[in-house]
Amino acid sequence: MNLITKLLFLGLSFTPAATFFTWDGAVAWSLLNGITLSFDLTPLSAFFMLLLAIGAPLIAVPMLREKSDESAYALYALLLLGMQLLLLAGDFIGFFIGWEMMTWSSYLLLLRSPRTDLEGAQSYILFNLVSAFLLLAGMLFLYSITDDFRIQAVDGLLTADKLVLFVLFGLAFLIKVGALPLHLWVPRSYDQAPDLFSAFLSALMSKMGIYGLMILPLLFPDGFNEISGQIFNGPVAGYVLAWIGIITATIATFKAISQEDMKRLLAYSSIAQVGYIVTALGVGSSLAIGGALFQALVHTLVKLLLFITIAGIILQTGHRRFIDLGQLISRMPISFFGVLIGIIGLAGMPPLPGFAAKYLMYVGLIEAHWLLLLAAMILASTASFVYCYKLIYGPFLGHANSPEAKTATEAPWQYLIPQIILMGMLVALGIFPGWAIDVLIDPVLIGLNMTPIGTPAWNVLATSYGGYDGVAVMGVFATVFVLITVLFLLVRGNMHRAASPYDLSFCGEVPTADTPLHYGAGMGRELRRVPLIGWILRHTTTGFYAGLTRQTQAAAGMIGTLYGSNPQTWLLLAVLIFAVTLTIQSVTGA
Amino acid sequence: MYHNEHCEGFQCEQQQLEAALAQSGNELGALDRLMAWFRQRSLFVLAYGTGCGAIEMRPLMTSRFDAERFGIIGAATPRQADVLVISGYLAIKTLKRVIRSYEQMQAPKYVIGLGSCTINGGMYWDSYNTIKQLDHYIPVDMYVNGCMPRPEALIEGFVALQQRIAAGTPSGFERYRANIDWYKANQRRVLGDNMPPDYTYDWYHAGGVA
Amino acid sequence: MAHYIIDAFAMIGMSYIMGFLFYGFYRQFNARVQRRWGPSVFQNFFDNMKFLFKTETIIHGPMFFFGPMIIFAGAVTTVLFVPYLKDSNWLQGFSHSGNLILIIYLLVVGPLGNALAVGSSGNPFGVMGVTRGLTRLMGLEVPFLLGLALVMVQHETASVHAIMAAQTDFAHWNLMTNPIAFIVMILPFMASQHASPFDVVGAPVEVYAGPRVEFSGRLLGVLMTQNMMMTVAKLVLIADLFLGGATTIWALIAKTFALFLLTAAVSTSFPRLRTEQTVDFFWKIPLGLGVIGVIATVWFPWS
Repeated sequence: MNLITKLLFLGLSFTPAATFFTWDGAVAWSLLNGITLSFDLTPLSAFFMLLLAIGAPLIAVPMLREKSDESAYALYALLLLGMQLLLLAGDFIGFFIGWEMMTWSSYLLLLRSPRTDLEGAQSYILFNLVSAFLLLAGMLFLYSITDDFRIQAVDGLLTADKLVLFVLFGLAFLIKVGALPLHLWVPRSYDQAPDLFSAFLSALMSKMGIYGLMILPLLFPDGFNEISGQIFNGPVAGYVLAWIGIITATIATFKAISQEDMKRLLAYSSIAQVGYIVTALGVGSSLAIGGALFQALVHTLVKLLLFITIAGIILQTGHRRFIDLGQLISRMPISFFGVLIGIIGLAGMPPLPGFAAKYLMYVGLIEAHWLLLLAAMILASTASFVYCYKLIYGPFLGHANSPEAKTATEAPWQYLIPQIILMGMLVALGIFPGWAIDVLIDPVLIGLNMTPIGTPAWNVLATSYGGYDGVAVMGVFATVFVLITVLFLLVRGNMHRAASPYDLSFCGEVPTADTPLHYGAGMGRELRRVPLIGWILRHTTTGFYAGLTRQTQAAAGMIGTLYGSNPQTWLLLAVLIFAVTLTIQSVTGA
Repeated sequence: MYHNEHCEGFQCEQQQLEAALAQSGNELGALDRLMAWFRQRSLFVLAYGTGCGAIEMRPLMTSRFDAERFGIIGAATPRQADVLVISGYLAIKTLKRVIRSYEQMQAPKYVIGLGSCTINGGMYWDSYNTIKQLDHYIPVDMYVNGCMPRPEALIEGFVALQQRIAAGTPSGFERYRANIDWYKANQRRVLGDNMPPDYTYDWYHAGGVA
Repeated sequence: MAHYIIDAFAMIGMSYIMGFLFYGFYRQFNARVQRRWGPSVFQNFFDNMKFLFKTETIIHGPMFFFGPMIIFAGAVTTVLFVPYLKDSNWLQGFSHSGNLILIIYLLVVGPLGNALAVGSSGNPFGVMGVTRGLTRLMGLEVPFLLGLALVMVQHETASVHAIMAAQTDFAHWNLMTNPIAFIVMILPFMASQHASPFDVVGAPVEVYAGPRVEFSGRLLGVLMTQNMMMTVAKLVLIADLFLGGATTIWALIAKTFALFLLTAAVSTSFPRLRTEQTVDFFWKIPLGLGVIGVIATVWFPWS
């Protein structure tokens, strides 16, 4: 029975893949009053369906290890159904139904974690409900103008109407992607959710917000140009969106550096990475949209890999804070490589595909001449090296800091299989960036009526600003690495391994097991001495909201002083104004 | 500027010693001679400022005496250093750190004892808590005597050490490795139970190759 | 294929020789400024050989050993992706397969790989040094890339070859046509070469805590070697981008040497900054200049 349930669940996780491969032709289903629900797999939704198809089974495999839990499986089924509905929907009714199903089933899944507290659950549901209501308001507003729920290009609208639509939809989706300052629910829920569900939240559900944001150019076929004009070589609306994205990325990166918990660090890093996508969407050129799609793909793979690996570490050691772990490299080598590949992708280092995504986005920004945004993006992506290093140093390097970390063993095979598959995918994508452009990204760009990026060969990423050859980079690096290692080992001279982990040059002193040698939690603390970073880290979003409340109350108080405390005074004032108005009207002869 | 034309006192003895040593390296192969030459041309110094002799290390490195022209330069950690300079008396408490640092240096490595205190205890000859003869505890390659020896004398010592290295004379670290039990016994006699941990040297027993 | 191999070895050899001669010159220069004689010009070569011939090397696990190999591979890859000569078949390496943004990222691949080795040594002083290095990187990378982005916008390409080809004569050097970009990136460039006054990360002689605290013997030799090669690669890159590249080896040496002399002159003149002072400095002065540069050359119609 148990086994059958698990097998059913595993089969269920392949439904997005099944939809992706077997879907042909549109389905229309007429609802009341001539409104039809339509479902179709456009190139754009197919791209996101592919992400779902990759991610769902990879998360399901490690889930099978736990005791079978029918209600969680049912909620997952509902969640997958909702997300597929959302992606397939050709009109806003289906989209909204899918969106709500996704929100509620994920909320109930979040509630099932023993770690979820009231604050986390409340902020999750409040922010997501606000997002849903904004979406509802947007679609009703659209219906009131066009008498149509279909997701298609709207033309002939007033600029003001467009602006209202843009703001309503934009806010709804920005809440889902966790842009600042609407991100409060993200770190809490990613942190408190069951470890594997965090992977789902970060890798797949945040992409639904991206999908929503990518619908916006569909609604406004002229890009963001027509909403409020152009500035600095690009649309104003896009410029604002890009700054929102990059401020999110920068601040979330610094917040991530200061975290002491692995999952919270990853949560903030998710916010930052998705911030890059928002920036690239704001640029709106075909290079930048291509970069956004590439980054969405890489981020999905990387976050699946990292969250699953971290879940494995938590499973084996029971610890989640950097200060409690350490030196797992010899005990969990495959997990080490998982995190290593993950952070190389996250940091955007060549030759892994994170670099290809970064490259496209940089070139998009340079092409648009938005250099200040470029500088901010470089800041965020360079600062991300620090948290990437913390993520690998904390658990794997240094000294083991708890009895569990000293005795841990490698994660079970159910965790390792997805890790190995994902590592293979990332390396392959890094060597063949042109393949991803050719097969995955160009169809979407063509579907969005943009010029495809194109590629001369699968190993080359080519843009109008020049490109690079993934095979050459990887080949040269690997060849030199092998040659120098062999050469080094051939040259005579002894090399011997330190007989004790405490054989350190420690200013002549002898460190012992009691000496605090692990630097995991403290890393990045000294960054606070840099004035800008210190300022950012001293302020919190909760503090921002509290300040907003204070200011609002102060403003209300100030306006309140305009009215006298004596009711007779303003009664008299009202009578006087009434009289003066009447007099003026009668004098002018209205 | 210091000129190396005349000698007096111990310098003459030293020169005679070096002249004898310079002839003993002829049996080295070509590659060994080359390696030895590179080694003597580049000495990274871990200056262990144990006593008042440390005051002579600063002028040695700075503009007046400029040891860098001989390829002698300071190193930050024992891992990078070739030469350990023990500058003056060694309290027993400090000896433990010196041994630890010496064992963490990577061969080929050399020790220079600076000042009379490292030779016979000097003015601390009857002190209860300093060691009297440094080479009972770690192998010394070159002594520079005097109280205090001036930087010129120290440079003299370094140059003599360089000649020994170039000649390929067996150095202190080989002696230390061969007689580790004797050195450890001596160290244990003054340090008692407060010995530095043995994982830095116990692979010497396996033939000194690991 | 044979062409590629000979070319690659020529580039590596040239970077190494230029590297130790430049550093030897730097030590001489520094000594003369301090009224000393200083060591021989070949002193860095001697030091490097001494370390490579050390008979003993201690390692702390496999990752500790592979770190220096990664950083060396990163350095050689960087060297091979920078075109050394203009309009020539030789000393090109694989530069046609890369571009400027790739090179900038390759510059940091190695140090990050080495950071793993430092972490796995288990010495907290080393990790402190790595954190300092990453912090400094955060400070310098923003104005450095902004300066290069100004050049990329000017020429509308990220290809080093195309940028080099556009600088036909002295009047068209980017140093002349886009001086603000040069000023924006030159100080971060010096920091990226670990030059004083931004060298608190390594601080080779006097600060105990640094990324190299645990490296000894031959591994230290490998680290020294890659550092010298990387320095030359960076100098050549800047000469390509701002000084019009070089058609002969002598011109290349002259141009890189001029840049190196500038770095050396700044290094000997200014006292060292702390890490957070470095970052703050880069985010105020060069980045501020960069913002002015963006406003002046990109936003306004007269450009």
